[in-house]
Amino acid sequence: MAQIDRLVRFMAKALALLGGVILLALVATTTLSIVGRSLNSIGHSEIVATYLPFLAAPLQWFRPITGDFELVEAGVAFAIMAFLPWCQIEQGHAKVEVLTGFLPATANRWLALLWEAVFCAAYLLIAWRLIVGTNDKLRYGETSFMLQFPVWWGYATVSAAAVLACIVAIWSFILHAREAAGHRHIRAATSRVN
Amino acid sequence: MDSLTIGYLSLPVLLALIFMRMPIGLAMLVVGLGGTMVVTGGPNVVLAKLKNETYSTFSSYSLSIVPLFLLMGQFATLGGMSTALFRAAETWLGHRRGGVAMASVGACAGFGAICGSSLATAATMGQVALPQLKKHGYPGGLATATLAAGGTLGILIPPSVVLVIYAIITEQNIAKLFVAAAVPGLLAVIGYMFTIAIMMRFSPSSAQLRQRIPYRERLKALAEIWRVLLIFALVIGGIYLGWFTPTEAAAVGAAGTCIIAWFAGGLSRTTFTDAILSTASTTAMIFFIILGAAFFNSFLALTRVPQELSSTILELGFSPLTILIVILCLYLIFGCFMDSLSMILLTVPIFFPIISMLDFGLTPEETAIWFGILVLIVVEVGLITPPVGMNLFVINAMDPATRMLDTYRAVLPFIASDILRTCLLVAFPGITLFLMRWLY
Repeated sequence: MAQIDRLVRFMAKALALLGGVILLALVATTTLSIVGRSLNSIGHSEIVATYLPFLAAPLQWFRPITGDFELVEAGVAFAIMAFLPWCQIEQGHAKVEVLTGFLPATANRWLALLWEAVFCAAYLLIAWRLIVGTNDKLRYGETSFMLQFPVWWGYATVSAAAVLACIVAIWSFILHAREAAGHRHIRAATSRVN
Repeated sequence: MDSLTIGYLSLPVLLALIFMRMPIGLAMLVVGLGGTMVVTGGPNVVLAKLKNETYSTFSSYSLSIVPLFLLMGQFATLGGMSTALFRAAETWLGHRRGGVAMASVGACAGFGAICGSSLATAATMGQVALPQLKKHGYPGGLATATLAAGGTLGILIPPSVVLVIYAIITEQNIAKLFVAAAVPGLLAVIGYMFTIAIMMRFSPSSAQLRQRIPYRERLKALAEIWRVLLIFALVIGGIYLGWFTPTEAAAVGAAGTCIIAWFAGGLSRTTFTDAILSTASTTAMIFFIILGAAFFNSFLALTRVPQELSSTILELGFSPLTILIVILCLYLIFGCFMDSLSMILLTVPIFFPIISMLDFGLTPEETAIWFGILVLIVVEVGLITPPVGMNLFVINAMDPATRMLDTYRAVLPFIASDILRTCLLVAFPGITLFLMRWLY
């Protein structure tokens, strides 16, 4: 059990870090695009044309990155789906904790188990429909406006991350079931890592 | 049963699920999907919608500003800017009675100018300021309450993740909302400092006083925070001047704070990984709520609840001011239990149509911006209201010597200052709007 737990956690963490790398890549793309756009417009400005004409051509060589916002849209969709399993395994979802104090610990554990079950169902539904959606986009051959890359690429990466999210959600459910059944927390034995 | 009844019934069901500790995003998702199935009489509409809705919600260009601002805040915490901010504020204010606490508020405000989240602001400034407050003999409750309240400046002072979400839901201009938030944010800083001064006067404490520091050193400490000013000017100035879109500004801010953290030596493999994972967790939490809210709100729209509810309330004939005050009070009550983004995503689609039909003597856009700032403030108060105030938990956990109850008690004057400021802003919309009117 502990080995599976480590594996699932490693997977969730690796996926979240991959999403983070994509997010950083989007930061870099967007920033470079802005730099390119600024240099280009300086190259076209009157000041350069009047006083520094020799700079105009090299500055005008710079360009914003074409379709950078399409990359942002596709990239951020993947990053968010990649972040979700980590949030799931880390118990990061927002909830209202008023009732917790009034219920006995066992009731709280069963309630938590119930919501984990609903989470599993939701993730399975989301992943299934995303895969169907990917197939649709593949069949219609839809492409993005500026870059003309097939829209199904973006859908496929998000679907893949959603499938991993299902696995993590199911594992999280199993962990909660163990706890509800009175077993010790699986990571209580090992040191808790944040 | 007609769809309107189903729509109305869904609201208590949703609240019941949320209070039974169902994660808020999940509850909205389930009620939204379930409700749509009931209203459309089968799963087909829901299944067809689900094919695209998840991807289109996550791939929104305007919403991508959220993870970017969160990333920026994470890098800002690693850049050593919190220490510089605290030192700068401390050299100017530290010799006064309650000065170190006031300096903490000032430093929080400075950090809020480069960080769009309250929890990150509270946690980061807590690490720097809490030991200093203890060292200078401030009572534990005052120290933790000051930082919890100061942390709320993270979202009050632009950039602000909550304001971004509000802007997207209500289709308002983010730049104008940021400009409008500036003066109320400064009022919050002044209000908190007054609160500290009054608390220090009425409760005798062992807080020590120190000598004034010569202006030369003060200016030197102030010069140390140029990085913060640079990032703030670049991000907010860039949006305002139209150099870049808000999303681009957030990307530039993330890149800038990343470079600063790199040069400050704050980026090791561990801190970098932690920053990414922390961004990941918060982003995922927010977007799961956004996804749930998307399904829930399209279900509500299907049942026409927002329109019907607003016309029903208008027919009751209460004055616009009464309705506004009731709504703000509801936020204060909800804020005792719920986090700020969930509240915004859950309630703004219902309350905003009501507010936009009322006549406050302002243009529709001004009303929307004014209401946005008011909601921002009352929602932010929720972060420091007992029993469930996230900032209180975060700061109290950093100081094991202070009891939760002491923090609860000491934060009450800060809440009073927040409520006083809200009243002021409700009574005089001009305070919020004049800067925006002047600049645009």
